[in-house]
Amino acid sequence: MQAQAGAGLTRIVHDVRGLDLGERTTYEAGRVTVGEDSVLTLLRDPAFAEIRLGCASPGDSVRIVGVLDAVQPCSKGPGGGGVFPGLLGPPMPVGRGETHVLRGAAVLAAGFLPRAQEAVIDMSGPAAPLSPLAATHNLVVEWTPAEDASWEDVDHALRRGLVKVAAHLAEAALEAEPDGVEELSEPAASTGNGTPRVGVILNLQTQGKFKDVFVYGRSLSGGLPTVISPTELDDGAVVSGQFGHPALKNPTYLHQTHPVVAALRASDELHLAALVLCPEPVNQADKELVSAHAARLCAALKLDAAIATKEGGGNADADVSLKMDRLEEEGIATVGILAEMAGRDGTGPPLVVPPTKANALVSTGNYDERMTLPAVDRALGRDRIALLDQPSTDEIELPVAVIYCAQSTLGWGRLTCAEPAIA
Amino acid sequence: MRVVHYVNQFFAGIGGEDSAGSGPELRDGATGPGRKLASLLGDEHEIIATAVCGDDYAAAHAEFAAELVSGARERGAEMILAGPAFTSGRYGMACARIAAAASEAGLPALACMHPDNPGLGEAAGTTVVQSGLTARQMKDSLERFAAAALKVAAGEELTAQDGRIGPVARANRLADHNAAERAVALVITRLGGDRDATEIPLPDFDSVTPAAPIDDAAQALFALVTEGGFVPVGNPDRLESARATKWVRYSLDGLDSVDEGAFMSVHGGFSTQWANADPNRILPLDVAREMERDGAIGRLHGEVLATTGNGTTVADARRFGMEWAAELRQQNIQAAILTAT
Repeated sequence: MQAQAGAGLTRIVHDVRGLDLGERTTYEAGRVTVGEDSVLTLLRDPAFAEIRLGCASPGDSVRIVGVLDAVQPCSKGPGGGGVFPGLLGPPMPVGRGETHVLRGAAVLAAGFLPRAQEAVIDMSGPAAPLSPLAATHNLVVEWTPAEDASWEDVDHALRRGLVKVAAHLAEAALEAEPDGVEELSEPAASTGNGTPRVGVILNLQTQGKFKDVFVYGRSLSGGLPTVISPTELDDGAVVSGQFGHPALKNPTYLHQTHPVVAALRASDELHLAALVLCPEPVNQADKELVSAHAARLCAALKLDAAIATKEGGGNADADVSLKMDRLEEEGIATVGILAEMAGRDGTGPPLVVPPTKANALVSTGNYDERMTLPAVDRALGRDRIALLDQPSTDEIELPVAVIYCAQSTLGWGRLTCAEPAIA
Repeated sequence: MRVVHYVNQFFAGIGGEDSAGSGPELRDGATGPGRKLASLLGDEHEIIATAVCGDDYAAAHAEFAAELVSGARERGAEMILAGPAFTSGRYGMACARIAAAASEAGLPALACMHPDNPGLGEAAGTTVVQSGLTARQMKDSLERFAAAALKVAAGEELTAQDGRIGPVARANRLADHNAAERAVALVITRLGGDRDATEIPLPDFDSVTPAAPIDDAAQALFALVTEGGFVPVGNPDRLESARATKWVRYSLDGLDSVDEGAFMSVHGGFSTQWANADPNRILPLDVAREMERDGAIGRLHGEVLATTGNGTTVADARRFGMEWAAELRQQNIQAAILTAT
């Protein structure tokens, strides 16, 4: 994966300040108009009886219920080629050349799929600051499945459809004057100046149907860790098909804009030296193997430090903790980002599987703490919140665990947890 | 102040484990360790009654606490003291529940137990002071308990210096920087030589010593229990698919197996397709009945105890475990098979 000097990606940024439905897809002065007919045509699939489009912007009195994946619009050129390799573009390495992105916009799917735990985004109110997708202008895709379609067909059609629409929207900005041009270099084989080399360990859930993540269109299930350039993330090499644990979810949007990658790129003191993708196997022996192997890869890459993240609930704590321990044994200083599961009152043990040799942890907050969300004017995705058996527009009381991406360990959020005083 | 003191069946002199199923009652005056406690509390306070309950009963019937607290109030109690429970888990849980029920009813309350007592996890919303490890440290424990009780009676807040122990509540808040930026900052701190910096103090999990093997399986009464989200079709008690706060029980009497269409799994942590196609896969009643018929096991208990183990808090899981253990002991069950998913 080490590149020749100067290799990397040029990210051409177009800021989005508004998004509406209209006759033709255009991007003008920060406003996206979504051509309804062309988008419905892109989404058409035998798995759907009907497709509906909705819009939700930051500050709107809107609740999106049953959110599945979210994608940032991006394009490498007309025809959609190149981005989301293995799903939309050909399955060949990406992450070089130029990529246009619509920053501040997202394409979401919201509705029912089996195993998809109900996720909520409030575009305004107390939950809005917790979700990255409450800060974007969203095109929300709703659907009615065809009678003879399997849930797997629906899932595949949604995944293909969302990336097609994302590429289509960004294509409208190809000729627009950019708001920013960012040069993203690939990791250097050696920094030469003593700047510590830091790797990002990206654990991807691999638990089968509706709980899997796709790299170049394929699952990492059953495999060993692999190393790619962080710039491949920017071009959509990692696409999520994982719909459990809403607050802990890492949607495609957060892989494309990986906050730890962004924070390391912005650091003058550290060099982003590698991105290590790891499956999250379901059994302990495989977790041990993958963790030990990941640590050896990091040692071979001469890393000084690493930051490890997870996707999923309690058992995925082990995927971070085991890697932290193995990395520390290799002499690599490791920080883990984890959510806490400390009970409704915050007095329980915060982690399911803590590390035994490492201890440097960043908290994305307590999953069990409850919050009250005020009533809203309209809802997208689902009319009722099944979890509470209440209309989606009602005032609701829910654990943070349900707020979409509120505790994603990819590190977008500012939510954390601390001890104010003895109980 | 008029004080009611809680002790278990053992310290009330009713009996040991054989009497652990005895129900709640109030007795006049101080009993057992309450006598020494009364003298340490001095003339301004009087133990007017002793509240008593068997440990198994208390673990299996959470409502015992509210019942005893309401009885204590009728007798004019102004403060409730519970323990010391040392490291005895069911007793500690009972003390924590009594103190929590009293606090909720607006009465000053204090429980006393060792920091390793698993009952400490039930003490949210109330105050606990540290005891010794075993009843051999009764004297020191009662002295600390009484001194702390005098402070509580005077309306003062207890601190760690008074021996206060108990769950520390962590609360969500927004940090100045996002988690990714904080992780990068923590890498720099860590590379700078600080090996202690962290946002999450590592939890210290207790370990459970397994019970001794049963002597003769062919004579033993077995129970099937599961965290597989096992319920009758329709989920009549609305057992949660994740973050369960309760457990449920269903009769297995007259059943040779648990069949598709009659039972199902509501577990949200795995695909339930195969469990629902044959519920014996999560509750192996078919095989257990065969073993019962063949005489490989003595007899099978007539009820399954079930919950969902998916994102469950440790406090809830610990409570379920203690309640199940008490329930099974009361039914004289010698062995339980817990199918995990």
